[in-house]
Amino acid sequence: MKRSKLATLLLTAGLAALVPLTTAAETLRVVSWGGSYVRSQILGFIRPFEQSTGIDVEVLEYAGGIGEIRAQVESWNVRWDAVDLQLFDAIKACDAGLLEKLDPDTLPPAPDGTPAREDFIDGALTECGVGNVIGSTVVAYDSDQLPSEPTHLEDFFDTRKFPGRRALRRTPKVNLEWALIADGVEPDSVYAELETRDGVDRAFRMLDRIKPVLSWWRTGSEAVQLLESGKVAMSSVYSGRVHATADAQTPLKIVWDHQVWYLDVWSIPMNGENIDTAREFIRFATSTRSLANQAGYIPYGPARRSSMALLAPEVRRRLPTAEENFRTAFESDDRWWSENIDRLNHEFRQWLKREVMVPERLRR
Amino acid sequence: MALPVLLVASCASSMVQADERDEEIERLKAMIAELQQRVEALEADSAVGDEALTGAERADESGTLPLEEATDEGIAFTGAVRYNFSADEDSIDSKRGESGFDLFRVGAEGSVDNFQVSAEYRFYSYMDTIHHGWIGYESPDYGAWQLGVSQVPFGILPYAAHNYWFGVPYYLGLADDYDLGLKYIKAIGNWDLQFAFYKNDELGDPSDLDRIAYDLVTVGEQANEETNQFNARAAYTFGNGVDAVHEVGVSARGGEIYNTITGDTGSHWAAAVHLDSRWRRWNFQLELARYAFDPANPATVNDDTVLVGAFADAYEIAAEGTVGVANVAYNLPIDSGFIDSVLLYNDFSIVHKDLDDAEDSMLNTTGAAIGIGPVFIYIDMIQASNMIYFANGSLAAGGETSWERLFNINVGYYW
Repeated sequence: MKRSKLATLLLTAGLAALVPLTTAAETLRVVSWGGSYVRSQILGFIRPFEQSTGIDVEVLEYAGGIGEIRAQVESWNVRWDAVDLQLFDAIKACDAGLLEKLDPDTLPPAPDGTPAREDFIDGALTECGVGNVIGSTVVAYDSDQLPSEPTHLEDFFDTRKFPGRRALRRTPKVNLEWALIADGVEPDSVYAELETRDGVDRAFRMLDRIKPVLSWWRTGSEAVQLLESGKVAMSSVYSGRVHATADAQTPLKIVWDHQVWYLDVWSIPMNGENIDTAREFIRFATSTRSLANQAGYIPYGPARRSSMALLAPEVRRRLPTAEENFRTAFESDDRWWSENIDRLNHEFRQWLKREVMVPERLRR
Repeated sequence: MALPVLLVASCASSMVQADERDEEIERLKAMIAELQQRVEALEADSAVGDEALTGAERADESGTLPLEEATDEGIAFTGAVRYNFSADEDSIDSKRGESGFDLFRVGAEGSVDNFQVSAEYRFYSYMDTIHHGWIGYESPDYGAWQLGVSQVPFGILPYAAHNYWFGVPYYLGLADDYDLGLKYIKAIGNWDLQFAFYKNDELGDPSDLDRIAYDLVTVGEQANEETNQFNARAAYTFGNGVDAVHEVGVSARGGEIYNTITGDTGSHWAAAVHLDSRWRRWNFQLELARYAFDPANPATVNDDTVLVGAFADAYEIAAEGTVGVANVAYNLPIDSGFIDSVLLYNDFSIVHKDLDDAEDSMLNTTGAAIGIGPVFIYIDMIQASNMIYFANGSLAAGGETSWERLFNINVGYYW
């Protein structure tokens, strides 16, 4: 009896010692943004990853930023194995030494053998991040309110040819870039132009053209509501939202010309316990098939060109990365904005106060 | 014999039942699989809700610039403190002008569940009074109602002038007037319709001169008060809405005048047509109004004039007259720098009185309104002919035809 108890005790102790190792080896903690976005990831490649490898994935939600990563890495208590970061945060965290380096050559090639380096769209592979999905801001319009179909970004600023109210997000981002492009500035020169006083004034003068008919939105759903309610004829919107609305048979359509796109990437915090498993996960999650699967659940573009070929034509057509949609796409320079946002926020606030027409009501 | 047959039959029956069960199970599995697919498809379709954002979009939406025109419901508290400097020909010779505290005001406005409120109370060095105060309800389908002290819908709104001193209609009670009653506002296409019934003036006490809008007041033998007044205003807006917005409108006012001495009731009416045109950076305003007061005075009181009052003062105006307004303003383009806005203007207004021995009263104000953050400054050169508060000017009989000048600067901090 005593021997039996001793054996049980030893067995229990041995198992107890083994359990943390087992958990560390077979449970991967993946951090993403929650809601339908993470649902598309779970259905698109996290479940298949679990089935394929036998590794459990624990999905955690966060609200962005790199503060938590910094805290974990600096304390050598890293609980996050792989994190979905916006590109700018990934660049920033990488520069700060908070992320593992990721070698693009270890990523699986496209089904036709095209190396990953060539298969990912430009800018989607960085030192510490592997591109995931691409979202974009586009001009959308209510075709019932306009006399003809706008096709170019310039049409947004042309209220004579396309009368009606407009809406933009209340921020200088995107709006200033669009104003300059619509005013004839080459897309490659937009940020250089915004470095100058004349360039900023030029952008605001272009926005002045539509200022009397401008409404402002804060969240993506507000933009769609403004269009759906007929309060505005044209608005900037997040592209994915208009497709869902269009699916609901409303007359909302997209002008893809000079869509402003941005990227989410997968990264691995430094000093983690499961770095190799996390690398395996990212290889799986960013494979051609995985990214195509995700696009089936949410209308954002996969960062791989080869993923597009796996999608049904009707799905492909509504993605920002479809060839015909992406032709004039403009990449938002997050690094530039991080250095200039304070200055241009101030300028933007000042501009908001300056009415073009004589105000209806003065301060009394 | 029967037993084997029964056994065979039973086995056969069991096999058939097993096959059917298997088929049923397979069929249910297929249905479950199909339903699962449909659930996933529906989930994908609904993926574009508020939460269906990429990380970049989420970060973007929680960005650094707050919405200053947030549509969130709530009540905002407002206020202002203002100081004034003025110099007429007398004061410039003696003290090189006068300066002093103008006002301190507090207010609240906003809405909760379509119920609105707007109120403002003002403190001057010599009086304090309500400016306006109403509660309202607005429905997208049925228009807006305002109950309380609200701006009377008449002529060019909200103000028939750009300058700090306003124009002649204000001093006759025909502009920026506030009374106590019920107002209804409804927009139908390009039409803006306003109807109102005002039981009486904003204070309900015609003997109280501590008010900011001119009404009939009772002082001495002048004992008339406004009551049971109806207003209607229809304005039509046209233009492309971008750099040309033009409003034309007609207004009418009619009501009773109760005389507290005779106990009898007289009447008053007014009508106006107006144009308020915004074209690019220009604003042109024209208004023509006609008014008449027919009080039920005692025999000893002349019906040719009535007494109006505000700002702790009262004066007589012609009982009937024709009023004209012609204003022009230009909004200077400001690209950047310290100053947010500069509005240049010239406001002209006149009243021609239906009195044999009366001169016309005129105001012409040339000036600029400058906005610098929360600070707003009016710089006005006011020229007045036969205008109340200027030398011996009168809005009733008599007066003088010379032009008086007043230089005025008003500096206010608004929040």
